[in-house]
Amino acid sequence: MIAATLNEYVILSVVLFAIGFFGVLLRRNTLVIFMCLELMLIASTLALVAFSRFNRTQDGNTFVFFILTVAAAEVAVGLALIVALFRSRRTVQVDELNALKH
Amino acid sequence: MDLSSLQALAANNDWTAIFPELLLGCLALVLLGLEIVLPRDLHRHLPVVALLGVLAILPSQIISFTVGFVEGESFNGLLYHSREGQLMRVFFLLSALLTGVLGTVSLAKQKVAHTEFYHILLVVTAAMMLLVQSNHFVMLFVALETVTIGLYVLVGYFRTSPYSLEAGLKYLILGALSSAILLFGIALLYGVAGNPALPGHTGAAMNFDALRNFLAHNPHHFLASVGIVLVLAGVAFKIAAFPFQIWVPDVYQGAPTPVTAFLAVASKGAGFLVLLILARTFAPCAWLLAPVLTLMAGATILFGSLAALTQHNVKRLMGLSGVTHAGFLLLGVVAAGTQAMAVGAIYFYLFAYLLASFAVFGVMAQVAGANDADQELSHYAGLAKDRPFLALVLAIGLGSLAGIPPLAGFMGKLFIFIAAFKAGLYGLLAVAVVGVVISIYYYFSWIRAAFFASGIPPEGDTPARPALPPVGFMAGLVLGLLAFATVLLGFYQGVLGQWLAPR
Repeated sequence: MIAATLNEYVILSVVLFAIGFFGVLLRRNTLVIFMCLELMLIASTLALVAFSRFNRTQDGNTFVFFILTVAAAEVAVGLALIVALFRSRRTVQVDELNALKH
Repeated sequence: MDLSSLQALAANNDWTAIFPELLLGCLALVLLGLEIVLPRDLHRHLPVVALLGVLAILPSQIISFTVGFVEGESFNGLLYHSREGQLMRVFFLLSALLTGVLGTVSLAKQKVAHTEFYHILLVVTAAMMLLVQSNHFVMLFVALETVTIGLYVLVGYFRTSPYSLEAGLKYLILGALSSAILLFGIALLYGVAGNPALPGHTGAAMNFDALRNFLAHNPHHFLASVGIVLVLAGVAFKIAAFPFQIWVPDVYQGAPTPVTAFLAVASKGAGFLVLLILARTFAPCAWLLAPVLTLMAGATILFGSLAALTQHNVKRLMGLSGVTHAGFLLLGVVAAGTQAMAVGAIYFYLFAYLLASFAVFGVMAQVAGANDADQELSHYAGLAKDRPFLALVLAIGLGSLAGIPPLAGFMGKLFIFIAAFKAGLYGLLAVAVVGVVISIYYYFSWIRAAFFASGIPPEGDTPARPALPPVGFMAGLVLGLLAFATVLLGFYQGVLGQWLAPR
């Protein structure tokens, strides 16, 4: 098995981050947007772990636990909001959520 | 890692240094506990318990300001306690107190649970107080996320209103996006600063001091620059600086009025403190930092002023004019790169902004009807005749926000502009003056609506103002105090003014 280099890990995480970022900007379904947001967090996690492994420093590994916790809290609040909004509006499409206009 | 080294690490955990935050957290838990224990008819007193608790913590904080306060690091470099941090603790406690008072007015008009609102408010306040004292990226991120996740809930708090929920969802998506961008920037900075091949590399790259030391050795490293830009972009979302201000109008309109005030004042204040801390950390990369912040400040002032001109909804107007204020504060941050007095000017501006904003939002909470998102300029027609007290408070608050002498807002703008002038930022100053002139126009159209427009709609189809309930004693007292303090701070700067002296 060929061990991956640091550059490969970083490039992979940048690609994941870019997929997530453009997904948030371009997709119209709130749930898919949510998945893209998680993808962006995962990209940062991957980068942190890779840097931590190759630089032989510990902070990055520790940080990952905090990120996972924060991401879980974010999803809990986010899904609650989506469910509540779906009950009153019967849609999760961003285009149709436009009651707030001047 | 053996037991003795863990003990040595734990010895640095100075719990008394974060006593106010601990008290706030306990108070929040006590509220939830009381809600379980107390019979249902006593629940209406719980907000009072929360407000009295914050009121009790506030003077203890002012005392610890002068007596027995630790200056320096604690928790192994996670936190750094400074005089600025102490001042901002007072700022956030005041914001929480005023938001709570507005909450008693606004929540009474809705059918929602009351206790949880205060619980989340207190937790978010404690997190903000930790945030502005953080000295480490893990601390910064966790505190920032505690603040934003709490605010997602608060923005969507009126869950029977589709407007509030929609605002909550929009804030959640854009807030999470900005957090992810910030996090990726942190990851890049951490990776670069820990690289053993580079000079000045460090094992503790998350620590701000270690990072600044590393950046001083490699100010032009490409990946580090990308990291800095990403981190700044993440913070710019929080302070609503151009081009990351797109969420502001919708979220401000949909959020409950007290939460809008909290977002406008406390969240923005926290964002600016983080920006100041980060600007100090990234100071070795001034070649990148100065132009980015300068462009952002100019664009923010212009965008906020021009976008606010066309608004009819007062919450959107406050949001977009808040973008302009963020631009003025950014001008201060740019000037702080060379002028020490700009930091003091930023703090003064924040306090003047707090007083004036809560005065205006307090009046808005009184005037708002059952639909909290529907607050039009036309609802203010004839306010001076029906409620002269509210109209007077509104006029003082708006005048201070617009920067009319001799109110506090004028002094705040003056100090920032003097600092910018000393720093030689003439181009930005010209933009800022244009912003001030435009802001006087749209703030005065609101004052004109309250004082000079007649309350009778010219045609039948104009939406009439919702019925005005009488102003409660506590809300009236707080509004009066805010207006009085706004006038007083314009004439006499006193203790706050001492902060302006360069140290």
